[in-house]
Amino acid sequence: MKPQFDTLQQLWHMAGHGPYVWTAVLVSLAVLGWLLIRPVQQQRANLQAIVRQAQREELQQAASTQQAEGGK
Amino acid sequence: MIASSQGFAGYLRRDLLLAYRRRGEVASPLIFFVLVSTLIPLGISPDSARLAELAPGMIWVMALLATLLSTESLFASDYQDGSLEQLLISPQLLPLPVLGKILAHWLVTGLPLTMVSPLIGLMLSLPAAGLMPMMASLALGTACLSLLGAVGAALTVSLRKGGLLLSVLVIPLYMPVIIFGSAAVQAAIDGLNWLGPLAVLGAMLSAAAALCPLAIAGALRLVSNN
Amino acid sequence: MASGRNWNWFHRMGSPRWFYETTGRWLPWLWVLTLGLMLIGLVWGLAFAPQDAKQGNSFRIIYLHVPASFLALAGYYLMAIAGAIGLIWKMKLSYMVMKSAAPIGAALTFIALFTGAVWGKPTWGTYWVWDARITSMLILLFLYLGVLALQYAFHSQETGNKASAILALVGTVNIPIIYKSVDWWYTLHQPATIKFTSAPSMHPDMFQPLLVMIVAMYSFYALALILHTRTEILRRERKAGWVRELAQRAQPAEVRQ
Repeated sequence: MKPQFDTLQQLWHMAGHGPYVWTAVLVSLAVLGWLLIRPVQQQRANLQAIVRQAQREELQQAASTQQAEGGK
Repeated sequence: MIASSQGFAGYLRRDLLLAYRRRGEVASPLIFFVLVSTLIPLGISPDSARLAELAPGMIWVMALLATLLSTESLFASDYQDGSLEQLLISPQLLPLPVLGKILAHWLVTGLPLTMVSPLIGLMLSLPAAGLMPMMASLALGTACLSLLGAVGAALTVSLRKGGLLLSVLVIPLYMPVIIFGSAAVQAAIDGLNWLGPLAVLGAMLSAAAALCPLAIAGALRLVSNN
Repeated sequence: MASGRNWNWFHRMGSPRWFYETTGRWLPWLWVLTLGLMLIGLVWGLAFAPQDAKQGNSFRIIYLHVPASFLALAGYYLMAIAGAIGLIWKMKLSYMVMKSAAPIGAALTFIALFTGAVWGKPTWGTYWVWDARITSMLILLFLYLGVLALQYAFHSQETGNKASAILALVGTVNIPIIYKSVDWWYTLHQPATIKFTSAPSMHPDMFQPLLVMIVAMYSFYALALILHTRTEILRRERKAGWVRELAQRAQPAEVRQ
């Protein structure tokens, strides 16, 4: 098993088939990459949103217990 | 035994009666079929030879589209006036009345298409050898299309813009039917065995008649519990 | 509940929390496995495998095209099975998996079609050929798009899930019929031209990297599916206590004021 191309230049050019092969490869990798990156980003956003929501509720609870005590 | 307004026969009769009352509306797929077959020569060429080459496939495509058009209304009016709920609480096994409705639908759309097809075939220079196979394949095929289309109709009945979604859902399922349907006609024209593809159509019809009502029943239960 | 058999393990698996915590442990390994195999397979196929006698270097597209096609089809079955489990056992987690499988499968089908088209140009001189395999792939794409469209068409999440599950099952029954029909249709009209490269006649030096890429793609699918499902779990279960705790552990103090 030996390398089929002698230089990187040749690897890129692929004896004339370069545009086809590399277009196929790059588009495929882009789609595959998107399929992995999108959920990771969404997850981060999810976690932040959950923490923020929890904080908001804590503040609301604190405010309403204050009110209850103040009203007595 | 069973009340005459329920069950397979009951719904068959009911839907045929309703269709008769709305016969103008119900005739539109048929009119569509005839009108569009005028578009073919206008869009392609009036040349007999070219038309003859394309005729089996084109007639099948038009029949398929006409059936698709009529499928949307299969459960729509029942859903809107609440009779779908009635259907669901009836004591029968749901697949049976569903089959009755679909048979009524076919009698009112697929069957007229089949009967008119020799006329269309003539207009599109379909070779004489293809006329009988065309009718046979359309008879079996449109029944299949009614069954498959009903699955899509049941899934989308509660949606407002269900029509386009219905096409997206159902056309992939239609593809094997048109493949074998037009192949049967083409085979007859070429002098080959056309009973083979026709038998496959028959098999598809049997399978669809057995399985589709189950899926439809599931879908109707689902969207009515909304 | 059941006659003496303990189905606890099955129902425990249906718990989103269990799934989330268990897959959390697997993820690092899956990342390594997927990226590693992909890198090895691609480098091997693109730079070290011999070129095809007739097709030259454009043949190398096979190393992405075939694995994507496999997973596109396998993914549909997985999606349908997840839907069936959801319908039968009313398992929320199963619906989440089904929902995640749809866009992944559709994207893979797109890759298969795109790479197939690009491959076709140098091979047959045209970007699109209605041969059996490509036509079947196209129909598979439509089936995926139908499931996706149906899922988001309903107001109620639950109804959308169940409707998609029913559609996916109907599609599953139809896939063998569609594939066989298209195959038959193509042989009927087969022009006297080249047949798509068939794997069995491939030289081992070309077949081995393909095998690596297929395994890599399975690993990728598992990774993508788990990532998407975890996102869905967090979204749906955001009010649950365990999720709250988890989020607060994951987000360090800088987020808090």
